[in-house]
Amino acid sequence: MSDRCREVLERLVEATTGSLPPQGREGIAEHLAVCESCRDEAAAIEASVARLRQAGRFSVPPGFWEDFTDRLNARLTADRVPVAMRLRRWLAVPRHAWGTAAAILVVALALSAAVRFGPVASRPDPVLPNARTLMTESMTTTLPSLVEVLDTWRAGMTPEADLASDRRGP
Amino acid sequence: MIEDRALLEAFRRGEASAFSALVIKYREGVYRVARRMLGSHEDAADATQEVFIRAHRALPRFDGRSQLSTWLYRITVNLCLDMRSRLARLSVADDDAPTEGVSGLTTEEQVEHREIGRLVARAIAALPPRQRAMVALRLYQDLPYQEIARIMGCSEGTVKATMFAALRRLRGALIQEGVRAP
Repeated sequence: MSDRCREVLERLVEATTGSLPPQGREGIAEHLAVCESCRDEAAAIEASVARLRQAGRFSVPPGFWEDFTDRLNARLTADRVPVAMRLRRWLAVPRHAWGTAAAILVVALALSAAVRFGPVASRPDPVLPNARTLMTESMTTTLPSLVEVLDTWRAGMTPEADLASDRRGP
Repeated sequence: MIEDRALLEAFRRGEASAFSALVIKYREGVYRVARRMLGSHEDAADATQEVFIRAHRALPRFDGRSQLSTWLYRITVNLCLDMRSRLARLSVADDDAPTEGVSGLTTEEQVEHREIGRLVARAIAALPPRQRAMVALRLYQDLPYQEIARIMGCSEGTVKATMFAALRRLRGALIQEGVRAP
């Protein structure tokens, strides 16, 4: 099939299956008049299209669309619109968009003012963390034994302390 | 077209009835394309539901650069192509559900009409998915090539060439099935 034949037949398909503007029809009849194979092909195309169209459109069972609409509405209700989309729809209204922008600006100004002029937070005592770092493991482990020594010392030294006080006199 | 724009604006204002009107306007077209592409009533009904669910979600983002019908059919075709590849089965051969009746036919003629409908459905089902979509949009929805090109995301020239190839294949399939020209 030559390019010319193919081009004419494609336009013929367009004309047969739907509409083709007058300028598109130019040359078809002239070509068919001189090309026998295209003439046969054109007749076959027209017959096929007629047969395909004759088969008709599918019909639906009775009551189908009522049931379809009920199911669709149920799904649309269940299929809640996401928050982002609702927000987008809401913001699509200029009044809402400007109102939201103004509210955001007010909040931003209030926050910046609070940061700029608000009370200064109390500073932590710098000594306490340093003192904690001075406590070593050996100090914490030896501390109970030191207490024990002190108790013994106190118990043992009490009479001597009394004697000492006697020697010093009243 | 103005009606579609009015429906769209009403939907954006939050009028639920606008979407219902849109569904009523396009549901049959969407169903028929889905039915030709998927080959069974159940799958086509599911696809039609899904198309309108997706449309409902995406409608706020619809920019109106294309027609609403083009946009809806694009959702339909993409969804059906996706469903076809997931279903990976061909039930169209058994799709002998009734097509719209033709008045004035005798009982025998009605039977013949129904049989031809079944054979045509089978022949269309044997086409590659994109050819099938184009045939459904052109022959059964009467959409212009320009709109089909927008729906399919290709050039008008590709639509013309694809339709030509699809019709040649269909003609061969119908001859093989013994269907004569009317």
